Amino acid sequence: MAPKHRNNRDVTPSAATSTASPSVSGTAPGATTSAVPVAKPIKAPAAATASSKQDWNSVVTNLINHYQDATPQRTKLIDAFMAFLVVAGALQFLYCVLAGNYPFNAFLSGFSATVGQFVLCASLRIQTTEANKSDFPAVSPERAFADFVVCSLILHFFCVNFIN
Amino acid sequence: MRSLLLFFALLWVTAVSAISTTGDRLLVVLDDVADKATYSKFLGDLESRGFKLSYETPKSESLSLFRLGERAYDHVILFPSRAKGLGPNLTPNVLLQFINANGNILLTLSSASSTPSSVISLLAEIDIQLPADRTGLVVDHFNYDAASAADKHDVLLLPPPSSIRADIKDFFGVGAGANEVLAFPRGVGATLGSGELLTPIVRAPATAYSYNPKEQAEVLDDVFAAGSQLALAAAFQARNSARFALVGSAEMLSDTWFDAEVKTVGGKAAKTYNREFAKRVSGWAFQEIGVLRVNWIEHHLNEVGATNESNPGIYRIKNDVTYTISLSEYSWSTWSAFSVPANDALQLEFSMLSPFHRLPLVLDPAHSNPEAAAYTASFKLPDQHGIFNFKVNYKRPFFTNLEEKNTVSVRHMAHDEWPRSYVISGAWPWIAGIFATVTGWLAFCALWMYSAPTDKKKVIKKTQ
Amino acid sequence: MSSGSWTSVHWSFQSLVWEGACFPAALQLRRATGNQRHKTSNAMRFSQSFASTALLFLAAGLAQAASFWGFDEGTVSVAAKKGSEGVKHKLSQRTPLSTPVALGTADSVKVVLTAKDNGKGKRPHQAFVVLKEQDSGLEAPFPLTVKESGKAVVQIAQKDLPVQFLLSEKPLKASVVIASFGSATGLNTPIFDIEVKTDPSAPLPAYEKPLRYGKQPEISHTFKSDPKNPPKVISLFFALAVLATVPALFIGWALLGANLNNLTKAVGAAPLSHPSFFGSIVAMEFVFFMYYTSWNLFQVLPVIGVVSVVTVLSGTRALGEVQSRRLAGEL
Repeated sequence: MAPKHRNNRDVTPSAATSTASPSVSGTAPGATTSAVPVAKPIKAPAAATASSKQDWNSVVTNLINHYQDATPQRTKLIDAFMAFLVVAGALQFLYCVLAGNYPFNAFLSGFSATVGQFVLCASLRIQTTEANKSDFPAVSPERAFADFVVCSLILHFFCVNFIN
Repeated sequence: MRSLLLFFALLWVTAVSAISTTGDRLLVVLDDVADKATYSKFLGDLESRGFKLSYETPKSESLSLFRLGERAYDHVILFPSRAKGLGPNLTPNVLLQFINANGNILLTLSSASSTPSSVISLLAEIDIQLPADRTGLVVDHFNYDAASAADKHDVLLLPPPSSIRADIKDFFGVGAGANEVLAFPRGVGATLGSGELLTPIVRAPATAYSYNPKEQAEVLDDVFAAGSQLALAAAFQARNSARFALVGSAEMLSDTWFDAEVKTVGGKAAKTYNREFAKRVSGWAFQEIGVLRVNWIEHHLNEVGATNESNPGIYRIKNDVTYTISLSEYSWSTWSAFSVPANDALQLEFSMLSPFHRLPLVLDPAHSNPEAAAYTASFKLPDQHGIFNFKVNYKRPFFTNLEEKNTVSVRHMAHDEWPRSYVISGAWPWIAGIFATVTGWLAFCALWMYSAPTDKKKVIKKTQ
Repeated sequence: MSSGSWTSVHWSFQSLVWEGACFPAALQLRRATGNQRHKTSNAMRFSQSFASTALLFLAAGLAQAASFWGFDEGTVSVAAKKGSEGVKHKLSQRTPLSTPVALGTADSVKVVLTAKDNGKGKRPHQAFVVLKEQDSGLEAPFPLTVKESGKAVVQIAQKDLPVQFLLSEKPLKASVVIASFGSATGLNTPIFDIEVKTDPSAPLPAYEKPLRYGKQPEISHTFKSDPKNPPKVISLFFALAVLATVPALFIGWALLGANLNNLTKAVGAAPLSHPSFFGSIVAMEFVFFMYYTSWNLFQVLPVIGVVSVVTVLSGTRALGEVQSRRLAGEL
């Protein structure tokens, strides 16, 4: 997940967090021109903090717009699925905190099903993203999906086994 | 269990051949064999109960309690001796060996002569103290026989012995008539140590005391013991259930005091209880009464749908089990159902190092008969796995010791014995979590393979 | 006799002896009912009846009819040290002192009296002060040193008392026993009570009860409490909330424009592989479901084997078809 190898479309979240570092865009070698407008509004508020709130708003909207424009639909579906897993996992964790962890094995298997599925999805997303192609020359998206299916089935088996 | 059965089989064989549960060879040790005429009624009673009596004097060369390393006699009565010691054949060590070899001893004392030093040593070994200078006489100026000891007050008249504690069975005073008293003529009193193996049978009345008639005839400057601390007859039962009985006055066993007429201080005439008392004390000492036997022990799973196999070697934690033990008590010549004395309890321990449960066993009439009483307890095994014992440790004064241990393993829950997750309401959200994940995943797989992109042009424009 | 020869060690040892056995005797004395009365010591009855008749006779002034033991000029005093004199109380053989005598840690009780046989001073063989603990019935006799004239004295220090007496809640009953050989009737009568005062700052002496065979307290194992389920409402709520994320996911996908438009194309291109691949995945999940509900591992494993072969074989074809679509730019 090294940011410097990531495509600008993926790197935007980390760029937003490191506000004081305008050089982030420069570190992405495969950066397209669209990376520059992302970095620029970051640099400006660093100089004039008075209008920082407004600038922040524009950063966020810019980010969202960029994501919506530049992400392929398939990746968006993965993202939606991952968001769903986060919510489902958070609900289970919240329940565990509120109502106690008995039976603990059920909690572990239910919660780890979502977490595990999330991790597998993340792998799939990395391996199928166009910009990471150079990192996985031997892995086609279909091969990645096949791995994803097999691993998910094993995960489901373990969870079903462990919940008793 | 098999060795136990063998043991009881052997016990049965010996029981058939003798009146006592441990044998019928009885040795009577007298200073002079001719003295046996003095105790003819007592010895005759013993003979009529089935004992084979042999007579010896302490000085006799042929006297030996052991032959070829085995006991030559099953029981010994020691009558008082005038000698300073009892000779090389009856040293305290030999007598203790005899007890260790399951032999029983009835020892009698007399104030007429000083007690032999080997008897003093033997008594010291089992924590019974006699008065200093081997001489003592118990007198009571309030409870004496006005007919025979109006002046000396050295023939005590005592109520028939009663149980010394509410939970102890009365072996020695039952069956005494209302007008019967126990005569204790010219006897020696002893004090008992605090050990649990010692039990007084007859204790002196509150006003009685012991003194040395030779030195304290006029002035009583020091009292050895007085009142109920003074035991006139006492019982000692070793851990191997061998018995030792001490009777402070040999004279009370003599013909003179059997069914004799006495007069209390109040002037009332009374009969002596001595004959029945002598029978009971000797019967107790020679294992004719108060002998317990375990017939069988059984334990099983007490759960619906279980196979209820007898005596399994393994149980699971929190199993419901039932334990039953069958006990008989020997009384004079027959084995009968053992009944636990009132206020006492037969207790079962379920223990690993220390007891986890100690429960009373209750009579189970369904498995009892006139010869054997079954006692049972049902309980839930503790939630602790390990090697446990079903233990019945019934040790009571005057009863032979019972210590029965049956070892079982208690295992943990097997993996398929836990409640299923859907039974536990607390697990529902997590089951729902797995279900949601799997459903979402299946739908995602379909979408990934079959979804047609809607932003085709954009993507093409951007990527190409 | 001097109280010195009765070392306290000796006494506490003696009083340990069959102390446990004193309980029933004490209980029986209190419950004088039927069978119990039969068990009550005849000796006690004898001695009590005699003591009381003796008193009656004395009171009636008929002492000359028979010979009786008694005492005169009796006093009890508590001294802080040996030798020093404390407050004296006169003792009477007819009525015991109404107020108990207090005995402090360093104090000793001194009883002085003159034993008399029919009014004449004479030395009896037995002259005891007997202290009795009321709860257990435990008794400790203290012999008096008697002169030829009948003058008798005993001094009892607190350290001479057995340990059980120091721990007694009720006052100790002190009685005097005067008797001797011959026909004269003895005297056994309560004379006063002793209240043992222990030092509140010093710890009470420990008394260890002798071991006696008998029933032991019952033990019941305390089980670990069963784990508790949270309220069903909460579990149900969260279960439904988790399940509700599934339709939310579908709605989200729909908003992102997800569709199954390529399905017909895919099935058309690989009519066997695609249904069997997806079908095998669903079948696998169904096997897991059966494993959860009823099957055991050994039923499940062969089925998983069969289904996974189908998945692998059909999967390669199906995904090959997907790849061809991707390369065709249709994804």
